[in-house]
Amino acid sequence: MEPEQFQKTLRRLEAEVQRVIVGHEDLIRKVLIAFFAGGHVLLEGVPGLGKTLLVKSLSHALGMSFKRIQFTPDLMPSDIVGTEVLTENIGRREFQFKKGPIFAHVVLADEINRATPKTQSAVLEAMEERQVTVFGESHVLDSPFMVLATQNPIELEGTYPLPEAQLDRFFFKLLVTSPTPVELREILKRTTGTESGDAKKVLPEDGGKLVSEMNQLLRQVMIAPPIEDYVVRLVHATQTDSQNGGPSNISVKQYVRFGSSPRGAQSVILGAKGNALIEGRVHVSYADVEKVIYPALRHRLILNFQAEAENVTADQVIAEVIKQVPKN
Amino acid sequence: MHVISRLYDRERPENLVFRLVAKLSHHALWDSLLIFLPPVLALIYGAVVLSHAAWISDLASFLVIAVAVGLGVLVVLLRYRPLIPSVSSAAQLVDQRSGANDRFLTLATIEPTHVPALLVARLSQETAGFMERVELKRDFPYKLKRSACWSFGMSLIAAILIHFLVPLAAPGTHTLPVRQRLSGLAEKMAQKPGLNGLAQELKTLAAKLEDPKIHQEEKQSLAQEIEKKIEEQQKKEEQQENRDLLGEAASTLKGIEKEQSASGQDQQKDQQKGGGGIQSNLPQKGQGDSKQSEGGEGQSKSDPSMQPSKDMQSGNSTQGNQKQPDQEKNQQQSADAKGDQPNPNQPGNEQSKEKIGKSQGALKEGAGKDKASEEPPQGAPPAERFYKAGEGKEGISGARYVTVQLPEEVAADSKGASRATKESKGTRARPQVPLSNVPLPAHVPNAPAEKQQLPIEYRGIIR
Repeated sequence: MEPEQFQKTLRRLEAEVQRVIVGHEDLIRKVLIAFFAGGHVLLEGVPGLGKTLLVKSLSHALGMSFKRIQFTPDLMPSDIVGTEVLTENIGRREFQFKKGPIFAHVVLADEINRATPKTQSAVLEAMEERQVTVFGESHVLDSPFMVLATQNPIELEGTYPLPEAQLDRFFFKLLVTSPTPVELREILKRTTGTESGDAKKVLPEDGGKLVSEMNQLLRQVMIAPPIEDYVVRLVHATQTDSQNGGPSNISVKQYVRFGSSPRGAQSVILGAKGNALIEGRVHVSYADVEKVIYPALRHRLILNFQAEAENVTADQVIAEVIKQVPKN
Repeated sequence: MHVISRLYDRERPENLVFRLVAKLSHHALWDSLLIFLPPVLALIYGAVVLSHAAWISDLASFLVIAVAVGLGVLVVLLRYRPLIPSVSSAAQLVDQRSGANDRFLTLATIEPTHVPALLVARLSQETAGFMERVELKRDFPYKLKRSACWSFGMSLIAAILIHFLVPLAAPGTHTLPVRQRLSGLAEKMAQKPGLNGLAQELKTLAAKLEDPKIHQEEKQSLAQEIEKKIEEQQKKEEQQENRDLLGEAASTLKGIEKEQSASGQDQQKDQQKGGGGIQSNLPQKGQGDSKQSEGGEGQSKSDPSMQPSKDMQSGNSTQGNQKQPDQEKNQQQSADAKGDQPNPNQPGNEQSKEKIGKSQGALKEGAGKDKASEEPPQGAPPAERFYKAGEGKEGISGARYVTVQLPEEVAADSKGASRATKESKGTRARPQVPLSNVPLPAHVPNAPAEKQQLPIEYRGIIR
């Protein structure tokens, strides 16, 4: 696949989703990057900002199967992955695996933090291994496969915060922000009138193959060793002294309880490669890294009580790390 | 090797980066050189000027220059090596200039074998479009660093100071030894055909000046004699170079004469002030040590009158080993004698004083004992136990001696026995003979009947 084709396809997808979603250009781009990089995305935002609509529109534009799972405290793992049911087939009774909603190309895990940890963990294997195991039998998930989970940051009562292990499996954590007045006016215009549009399919029938090719191209994008070293230094700088085996002079470490895992560095580089391709380049620049490092690392930094007390966010820590880590 | 092979391939866009690396390396080398070269040159100049002015020898100046050059090269290398830019930093500079968005960086640093050739070709093509935006000469010119200006300025000031201050300094103040100065001149003169004889004489003079046995006046007269010869030769000489050389020799000889006469005057003054002293073969720890460390320059200024006699030299005197006591020692000795008392601050004197006290005490004790019950019977020879320390049946055995050096006026008067006797009775203790290991003359009342060395125990009595 040619880089131009990648760029063109991605631009068309962006445009199609933006026909439904007002604003959030950056959010849409990052979701698409994560999709073509083969990652999963955690969307965090207050209710009513269009998270679910975004995911729906994206799946429509991709032309791929889409399933939505509303996570509740009484949701069982079998409700997600599926279960064996007794069926009668030509006079014979047998157990047949009934696929759960996880068997789709795009899965929306709505309010994922409302389910119990047991149910949340059922998604873990699916996200990482791209397969589920039911009664000892593994079932491979459709490809491409992407989980788009949403969580509400304010209604914390009756929620089960995602464990670090599960958070680490998300490629990006994207923050859905409130629309600007101009955007809100446009939203109102589109949703309160008679016109109601839905995203149209952009990818061809064999979309899976195309997505796979795009994924391959993304991974081939060149990255200079000094830029790789820069990413390593950035990720290393977020880690605590006990993690990286030695003290460093990054002042924000006082707010970090646990720093980024190697998966964080992988996400940064793949995200930067995707960003480069979208911008029509076949090489990664320092700017690409700095664009994707926030969504790639913010959910991987576990901040301590001091940070909470001083209202220091993960984004602030990352910004300080970027400021303090030299490029050479 | 990979980098070097790419370095000479000028068609590739990444070669712009490698050329920039080379250019910036040269800049760094110039920076280092311009900072450290001026001080090194100033140091070399200083060494040459000092060598010409005979402040330091040729060997010393050569060593200074060699060390300065070596140090300079080392420091330049130490400073230059960390300043050599890396390929990535040079590529970033090119990217910043051209707005290539890290294209040069990627192209210059990636390993092409690990990346699809199609993408590399595409990147190379893209980057080539940015090459025109960068011109190394225009965008990366060499700029003189402020530190280099400072270094140059300070070194220039130092060189100017050396240039003007060294000739201003007194010609006789340099520390080159007389013998070396004269030998140097003699060597120069020996190379000239008509001056061979004078050169030989200068060498002889140099040797004699160092010889402590030769009297000061003799040295002076020798110097004057040669000086006259040189002046005569100078008048006869037609060649300017030879005349200059002779002039230099004459001025050096004048300087030497002045030095000699000044040291002679000093010594005379010392003697007039009461330059007497006591030389003893007694072990004098503190003084002995300090005297050992003295010497050197004062060798030529030494007073022959202060030299120990041949007898003393052949003896086991600690001062006899010191062939040329210098002027400082003379001053010290004269200071000792000023108060006509040994200086209590001098540890050696204290020691000798103690010894004197002890011997006197021993004499008194002995006298007291004699008066008591242990007096030997009359007529019979005394038993050995009655002999005092240092005495035996044959007389005084194992006696030590002291050397007493008198001030000139006292020495002159010492011939008159009556005056010496009078003074010996006075409060001021004065030695009666210039050198005490010489037996007292017969006309001195206290002179012993038999010839013997003056025992140390009697020193107190003399005083």
